Amino acid sequence: MTDDNLKTETSSSTVIKFENVSKVYKGNFPALENINLEINDGEFVSIVGKSGAGKSTLLKMIYAEEAPTDGTVLFGGEPINVSKKGELFLHRRKIGTVFQDFKLLPSKTAFENVAYALEAAGTSEEEILENVPQVLDVVGLGSKMEKFPYQLSAGEQQRVAFARALIQKPMVIVADEPTGNLDPVSSWGIIKLMLKINEMGTTIILSSHDKYVVDKINKRVVILEDGKIIGDCPVGKYKLV
Amino acid sequence: MSTIIVRTIKEATKNFFRNGWLSIATSMILMLSLYTLSILFLILMTSNIAIKIIQEKSNISIYFNQDVNDETISNIKSEIEKNSLVSSVVYVNKEEALDIFKRNNANEEAILKSLEEIGSNPLLASLVVKAVSPTQYQAIYEFVNNAEFVSEVSRINYIKNKEAIDRLNFFVEKARQVGLIASSILAISSILITFNSIRITIYSRRKEMQIMRLVGASNLFIRLPYVFEGILYGLAASIISTILLLITVGFISPYISESILSKSFMSFFWSKFWLLLGFQIITGCTLGVASSMIAIRRYLKI
Repeated sequence: MTDDNLKTETSSSTVIKFENVSKVYKGNFPALENINLEINDGEFVSIVGKSGAGKSTLLKMIYAEEAPTDGTVLFGGEPINVSKKGELFLHRRKIGTVFQDFKLLPSKTAFENVAYALEAAGTSEEEILENVPQVLDVVGLGSKMEKFPYQLSAGEQQRVAFARALIQKPMVIVADEPTGNLDPVSSWGIIKLMLKINEMGTTIILSSHDKYVVDKINKRVVILEDGKIIGDCPVGKYKLV
Repeated sequence: MSTIIVRTIKEATKNFFRNGWLSIATSMILMLSLYTLSILFLILMTSNIAIKIIQEKSNISIYFNQDVNDETISNIKSEIEKNSLVSSVVYVNKEEALDIFKRNNANEEAILKSLEEIGSNPLLASLVVKAVSPTQYQAIYEFVNNAEFVSEVSRINYIKNKEAIDRLNFFVEKARQVGLIASSILAISSILITFNSIRITIYSRRKEMQIMRLVGASNLFIRLPYVFEGILYGLAASIISTILLLITVGFISPYISESILSKSFMSFFWSKFWLLLGFQIITGCTLGVASSMIAIRRYLKI
């Protein structure tokens, strides 16, 4: 096999690629500096670092909430074009997002929160009625479909968020500090859920500053500090230099 | 597209009822706007009709002395008709006057009896003069008073009505001026308040819009339910306002003399019911939708 062949093979399995990406926020505040990062299909990548290291900014570029000041972010080989605002929703449908504060719609039940993503994508009513309960079963909330977020525990709310991220069968799930608001027991539940989702073939990109979580996962770890990648271990433990 | 519309209506209706208090508060403020505008609308309509009716009813009656014959009167009639301020002159002779009097007093036996006792016809022949415009009665009155035939005239009954007509003219004129200013101010301020409260309602839910964006909803899909909610506010507000109007009119109606509108205020209201309801629904929905759209534009940054 020639070098060229090898190259095409790697790039076809690359889901996300950061090419010399920098981000400077207003007021000359640099958040990311010259980031080069490749994430392959089916990987589980934990991005670790202190608060303010640039973890969230990195993730926001993947779901097109922020645009790089310099460089390009490629998704499935295509650059993400944040300037096409009217079409960003099509890009976002390929990515599931989970946040520290769950971001559930407060006036919707668990079922409706998950169904909303499908409704927005124009999925038929029959498919929604079939798929949503299935996904809620996967995250272990099959019996609490009709509960509103305020009737659910923090861990359960986060499971709803994962169900919502999963429902569109995304290529990638981006989880920004998903255990940040959870107690250790709930966190452990979410870790197991993420590993399960990853085993089913979905790429997961997790940001965390929780040593316990990252060590439990025991997969690839990318370490960020002051906006730079200072470490990238294929199977790693949480460590800060 | 039809899926979007069905989901929009479903979503908006659900939101409207789930956000119970917020929806009620917003609709109530919109309702106040509509109620105020409707009342102004009613007052303007009523006064316009009242003016027309009173203009039709008002006239100058010139009564002639007992000894004046038909020929003299018809000469005087054609003389008055030549005046450009006059729109019509009707001759009522003694017999007709008696008939009218008897008809008007058909239930008053005492009066009819006393009329019989007199034996002869005590009523006078008269000319009923109508002016082109109600403001010209004074001029016509003066014209008659200064005419040569004034010696044949027993009395002119304009003086009796004069005050009422003057007062009405004054009132109508003032009501138009004040009404126009007051209704503009009220309309503008109520529109601003409504706009603001719908904006606040949407502002309080801006986080929802952000979440919707993140899960891949298109702008149209996010916006439409809020716009449709604006329509629901408008509908709810029109219904409540109409009920309130009905109560108000029912309360006021007995105090408004039927002679003003030639029917009761209540039946006048019912005759304008659909017009008023339509006016409120259109105004309410327009206000609701416009406020929603402007507010969303501000809070739905992509």
